[in-house]
Amino acid sequence: MSANLSKPTFKPYTGEKARITRAYDYLILVLALFLFIGSFHLHFALTVGDWDFWVDWKDRQWWPLVTPLIGITFPAAVQAVLWSNFRLPLGATLCVACLSIGTWIARVFAYHYWNYFPINMVMPSTLLPSALVLDGILMLSNSLTVTAIFGGSAFALLFYPANWPIFGMFHVPVEAGNSQLTLADMFGFQYIRTGMPEYLRIIERGTLRTYGQIATPLSAFCSALLCTLMYTLWWHIGKWFATTRYLKRI
Amino acid sequence: MKTIWLNNPCATRVKTTPYPNTKELQQKLTKGLLLLGTILSVYLLTLQPVMAHGEKNLEPYVRMRTVQWYDVQWSKQKFNVNDEVVVTGKFHVAEDWPISVPRPDAAFLNISTPGPVLIRTERYLNGKPYMNSVALQPGGDYDFKVVLKGRLPGRYHIHPFFNLKDAGQVMGPGSWLDIAGDASDFTNNVQTINGELVDMETFGLGNGIFWHSFWTLLGTAWLLWWVRRPLFIERYRMLQAGLEDELVTPLDRNIGKAIVIGVPVLVFMFYTMTMNKYPKAIPLQASLDQILPLSAQVNAGVVDVETVRTEYRVPKRSMTVSLKIKNGSDKPIQIGEFATGGVRFLNQSVPAHDLNNAESVIAKEGLILDNPVPIQPGEQRTVLMTAGDALWESEKLDGLINDADSRIGGLVFFFDSEGERYISSITSAVIPKFD
Repeated sequence: MSANLSKPTFKPYTGEKARITRAYDYLILVLALFLFIGSFHLHFALTVGDWDFWVDWKDRQWWPLVTPLIGITFPAAVQAVLWSNFRLPLGATLCVACLSIGTWIARVFAYHYWNYFPINMVMPSTLLPSALVLDGILMLSNSLTVTAIFGGSAFALLFYPANWPIFGMFHVPVEAGNSQLTLADMFGFQYIRTGMPEYLRIIERGTLRTYGQIATPLSAFCSALLCTLMYTLWWHIGKWFATTRYLKRI
Repeated sequence: MKTIWLNNPCATRVKTTPYPNTKELQQKLTKGLLLLGTILSVYLLTLQPVMAHGEKNLEPYVRMRTVQWYDVQWSKQKFNVNDEVVVTGKFHVAEDWPISVPRPDAAFLNISTPGPVLIRTERYLNGKPYMNSVALQPGGDYDFKVVLKGRLPGRYHIHPFFNLKDAGQVMGPGSWLDIAGDASDFTNNVQTINGELVDMETFGLGNGIFWHSFWTLLGTAWLLWWVRRPLFIERYRMLQAGLEDELVTPLDRNIGKAIVIGVPVLVFMFYTMTMNKYPKAIPLQASLDQILPLSAQVNAGVVDVETVRTEYRVPKRSMTVSLKIKNGSDKPIQIGEFATGGVRFLNQSVPAHDLNNAESVIAKEGLILDNPVPIQPGEQRTVLMTAGDALWESEKLDGLINDADSRIGGLVFFFDSEGERYISSITSAVIPKFD
């Protein structure tokens, strides 16, 4: 259809045309589902990687910094396409839901059944609350700037508290080997990972020591700032890669 | 088939004719597919599980001059699920630590397993329990003990080994372990500081699934809210027609507001509930253990050894080391063994008390001395010790002559007439001989 349709001339499709456009909707949705399960999951595994794989990597400093920063990439790009062209405010939720499906499949089949790790040791984190808020802010503001600043910040700030109900219980202290560990650390000690010695963990390392023990909020706010930039970058990547020229020929 | 345009290139009528060599092509294709199928079948029929751990991959000078293992023993090699097995042993950290390998400021005593078929319940270095990584001191002597518990039935080849930060894995001697029983019988309970007993196999799993399901439910509801309506083509047309207001209705906006306000409220409510439920939660622990070496076990001062020169004869696959030895003990001593890079060369004429029961790679007659007469107390003698065996090649230690750091390191074991053992570490540059 041409781009110069005006309100009085617009007529919704009916009959066969309506059925075909609906079939097209479902076709695209199914393809998008597999595409994002594969691509976003791969992107996430290669970048966030061990911070999301293992319970004893989910620390106060790096995990809440890295995970939202990488997690906002695909949602921003897909939002750019779906919102700009279709006013569909579901890009972030769709991407994160696909990521969630991909990670759960990998954890259950690759980590548990193939490599024998207990699933609780490799349970993924969730970004769904962050994604819902990001979609909501985009819909209400209809603004890249507002969504980048407030949505991006909310995406990062909500991550740690949203996941604490899942992972907080793994931080209960345990006495082992004349030292204090968390239950999460015990998983790392007990369930042998040949290629993952303890010193490889990038956790609790940094120079934010002058703020006492409140490392998490500092990391979360740092992530929030970076997410606003990352969101804008990936929004433009999404716009750059996407096209609707085929729709114009319909 | 090929298509031929008839005379006029604008003609719509075409004539199709078969290629003259179509049959030949088909035959070749069939033969090729048959060959490929045969190769694949042979490959699939001969597939076997891989039992190696890359122990020969590390460059020889790293295997020879970092962690030098000896006296590795397993308490048993056949046991059931839930049974404990203990591996003990000793190692010397080479004084001549390679310049290209970062110092062992962070090292992790690990167990090579195909996944957690065993779990590690305790680990000791020099009698002290430790849970994290540890700093080792070059020249230091250590003994270790690792307690493992059978988790999954099967037959596995297991090594103790050291992960060295930025260097790789230095394998100790391996052993075959047979774990019998039923995997479902496995239990692993850990007591928290509060006294609560938790089952590590299932702890937190139900809770995690619950929270993932909760947020997935909300996310799915949001997606379905939009997917139930016509999506791409219809919405694109409406947007182009300026009907944006109809694409996002007031009800949509109200739901959006509920999400933007409600989700953070829920998140912080659940967060507060969890904080109250686990008030004693602590951060992940990331300390580096510091354990001092034992008093000298190797180079203990009784027998002094100085390496004068080392030559590797490539055709004979033999390493000849010239050693200046001074016997400071009160009994005659003889060289019984030279161990390097996981290979043990034994002097058959010296009855040695073997403290290993791991599957060491052994050259039983691999050690020859130019002068087999015992070195008397107080005597100083220069000895030519030749360690010769095809193991230099099969264990990929002969690659040393092509290394950037072609120096050898290893442990020489002396025995006196009463079986007392003295250990010296040696190190030297290696001169290859190609004749």
